[in-house]
Amino acid sequence: MEVERLIRSAEELARKHGIGYYEIRISRVVMTEVSMSNGQLRGLSSNSETGIGARAFNGAWGFSSANDFERFEKAIETAMKIAKLSRGESKIYTGDPVVDDAEMPVKRPFSDINIEEKVALVKETDSMLTGERIVNRNVSYRDTVVETFYFNSLGSEIRTVVPRIRFGFSVTAKENGEMQQYWKSFGGTLGWEMVEGIDISHWTSLVVEKARALLKASSPPSGEFQVIADPELTGLFIHEALGHAVEADLVKNGDSILAGKLGQKIAVDGLTVVDDPTLPGKFGSYIYDDEGIRAKRVEIIRDGVLVNYLNDRETAQYFGLEPNGHGRAQSYAHQPLVRMGNTYVEAGDWSFEEMLEEVKYGLYMIGDKGGQVDTANGTFTFGAREGYIIENGELRKMVRDVALSGKILDVLKSIRAIGKDVRIEYPGYCGKGQSVPVDDGGPHLLTKALVGGLK
Amino acid sequence: MIDVIESLAEILNSKDVEWEIYWESGRSGSFRIERETLDRSQRKFYSGIGLRVGLNGKLGFSYITGIHHSRSELEKFVERTIKLAKVSEVPFRGFPVPSKVPEVKGIYDRKIEEIPFEDAHALALQYAEKMRELKEKETLSGSISLAFERYGVVNSNGVELEASSTYMGVSAYAVREDTPGNGSFYQSYRSLQGIEALEEAIMKAKEDAELSARAKRLEPYEGEVVLEPEAVLSIVEVLLENFYGDEVYYGRSRFSSFGDRVASEDFTLLDDSTLEGLPGSYPFDGEGTPGQRTTLIENGILKGFLLDHTYASLLGLKSTGNAVRSFRTVPSIGSSNLVVEPGKEGLEDFEGIIIKNVFGEHTANPVSGDFSLPVGLGYVVRDGELVPFKDNMLVGNVFDLLKTAEPGKAIKRISSFMAPRVKVHAKIV
Repeated sequence: MEVERLIRSAEELARKHGIGYYEIRISRVVMTEVSMSNGQLRGLSSNSETGIGARAFNGAWGFSSANDFERFEKAIETAMKIAKLSRGESKIYTGDPVVDDAEMPVKRPFSDINIEEKVALVKETDSMLTGERIVNRNVSYRDTVVETFYFNSLGSEIRTVVPRIRFGFSVTAKENGEMQQYWKSFGGTLGWEMVEGIDISHWTSLVVEKARALLKASSPPSGEFQVIADPELTGLFIHEALGHAVEADLVKNGDSILAGKLGQKIAVDGLTVVDDPTLPGKFGSYIYDDEGIRAKRVEIIRDGVLVNYLNDRETAQYFGLEPNGHGRAQSYAHQPLVRMGNTYVEAGDWSFEEMLEEVKYGLYMIGDKGGQVDTANGTFTFGAREGYIIENGELRKMVRDVALSGKILDVLKSIRAIGKDVRIEYPGYCGKGQSVPVDDGGPHLLTKALVGGLK
Repeated sequence: MIDVIESLAEILNSKDVEWEIYWESGRSGSFRIERETLDRSQRKFYSGIGLRVGLNGKLGFSYITGIHHSRSELEKFVERTIKLAKVSEVPFRGFPVPSKVPEVKGIYDRKIEEIPFEDAHALALQYAEKMRELKEKETLSGSISLAFERYGVVNSNGVELEASSTYMGVSAYAVREDTPGNGSFYQSYRSLQGIEALEEAIMKAKEDAELSARAKRLEPYEGEVVLEPEAVLSIVEVLLENFYGDEVYYGRSRFSSFGDRVASEDFTLLDDSTLEGLPGSYPFDGEGTPGQRTTLIENGILKGFLLDHTYASLLGLKSTGNAVRSFRTVPSIGSSNLVVEPGKEGLEDFEGIIIKNVFGEHTANPVSGDFSLPVGLGYVVRDGELVPFKDNMLVGNVFDLLKTAEPGKAIKRISSFMAPRVKVHAKIV
């Protein structure tokens, strides 16, 4: 078998170049994509590819990748030659070898569904997005199955199969020169059963109604306000306001405001934040990370205290922490970086109504519109798809295009209430030079932030 | 033409279809320095062929990785793509016909193609050494990347083009360890740069980190603000997809008719893929359409969109040569080099509020135009004295903001974007 030949070859090359540690990933990716705009099919493709990513460690990393089969062995040798040339002083966690063969279970594999059925789903959804004032509609579907064979110099040999599906739609509404968009996405490490479980009629109506309603919404006020985030926005908030700053590679490089704060109280009592890539079926889930470390649930904050960083082989060793399997790569052609999986806030004991009553004047903000963080300065921003002004505990008029900003160390201590209604179902992609699938969520949350409105 | 493409074209010519091959073969080397130490070095190889087939008004697309394939593998590849065209309902609007491609200078440097990996590695070590030498109160990190690519487009209308390009990227990042503050610098080139460019990157990042560490939040303000080219880039990014032909065609752009006034009369924005030596330059795009200069806004008036062959045809216009792609994808519309033309006013000595950079552009709403972007770094200049600020938000509406834009004289390049400082009316919260 070809893989066995590569394993033998890697062993010989490592001996020849004096390399102490190496790891190789060979992935086969099978993917189908269908997209449609205004009833017209825009994209339809079905492809597969195989590639290799090889890393060798010699106190610093050497990496090489290739997608042409004839270059696979050459990529392994190149990684080793680079590592030999690099010779650094870093150390990494090695641990015991792992031998495993693990597949994420699906009820209906994508390969059982023909492409006509996938096109039919997209068409049917498109037809439900029509209506007055809707000038644009988009539907996209994508499924992938990534089969990876990982082996390293410790003797680990791990085969994994991870399916991933994403399905979403958006509309643009227009009236009197105003334009607004609304969208909804679904995703998971699941098979075709995910789309069968969606009430498409409900969600398409909701998206159309929201886009129309936003046309009449006004811009929010600006300044510092009490803000209630819905579970989706809580997920985005915690991803930006905490998640990136606890990625141990940033901490190591002096690029995080949370450096040196392990064991310290950085948030309010009762706030517990977890990153758990083992949650079944979630979009950011995986079985092993891209360094062959088993995925595990990691508590980042327990009751307001920073208890862990997310780490990879290098940062686990650097900080003397238990490795927790957060070294993830975009593909075989990328080196693993410390990344989140499924990040969420655990439940508190507030109901949404109780939270509302707390707010004399503030905003209720709904839906993830992306965010970004400057981890060194400790400033983050995130956008919401819609919002409502809260006056004396009651929801008033709708506001649009709401973006918020805050300081990590202030805002985690400004949380006044944590809801009991946890939801983790907001699939997305997180960029950090590389793009990886993540999920996040939590309950409703009441905090304080700077709102950048036009009013 | 390389052998594999010739064989593939021969197979396709024996079928009753229209076809287009886009191929790439490239190599990249990159080096990541963390805490003044070279920590990660890599060398990647990639190649592949993307094939589009037009059949009965419908389009099929598929790709294969690598450029070493047997005749039978190529035949299977062709069959698979034709089969997709048969079931596809993606409209096919033909492929470009041959036309004269401009000579674009300075996009290939033999020194980058031929640099031995050891020499590139030595340059990265020199960069790390320079960081150790210049380090004061900050932690310095950064990267160097070098890339070479050969690519080509061949189609059944007789287009047969290939080109080579090289690229070098340099980044530096400085974080103050005493008080929170950071600065970064990024620049890209088409030719090999020496230690001077690396030193400049470090110094620029250090300067901003020093200012950032001293910066405090500014009181809310509304009025005249000068945006540095970095902040102008963010504003143009919020605006940009309104110029994309597909967004226009599908009704998702705010712009519809040429001749509309969309900015102040001093504001001119263009896209130009023929500029010498710039990172966004190319002689032809991903479909073989010649690169060109396209005016998007001229003296405040909407003049053009960015188009590929398909959406130009659907809109009854001509492609502007803005089809961007890799072998894995069908063409999509993108910009090449974006240029905000200089204005009459010199803003170099402007006194008042200046914003260096903002972040989070993707949270803005391109169709409504509303944005609220955190200020990474800004400064107030009074009587020649400079007081930095950060953590405020710059808020506004991009369409309204453009109507107040007064570009300055001196142009600065940030990778494939060129702009002067621009004075606008804005709000800071």
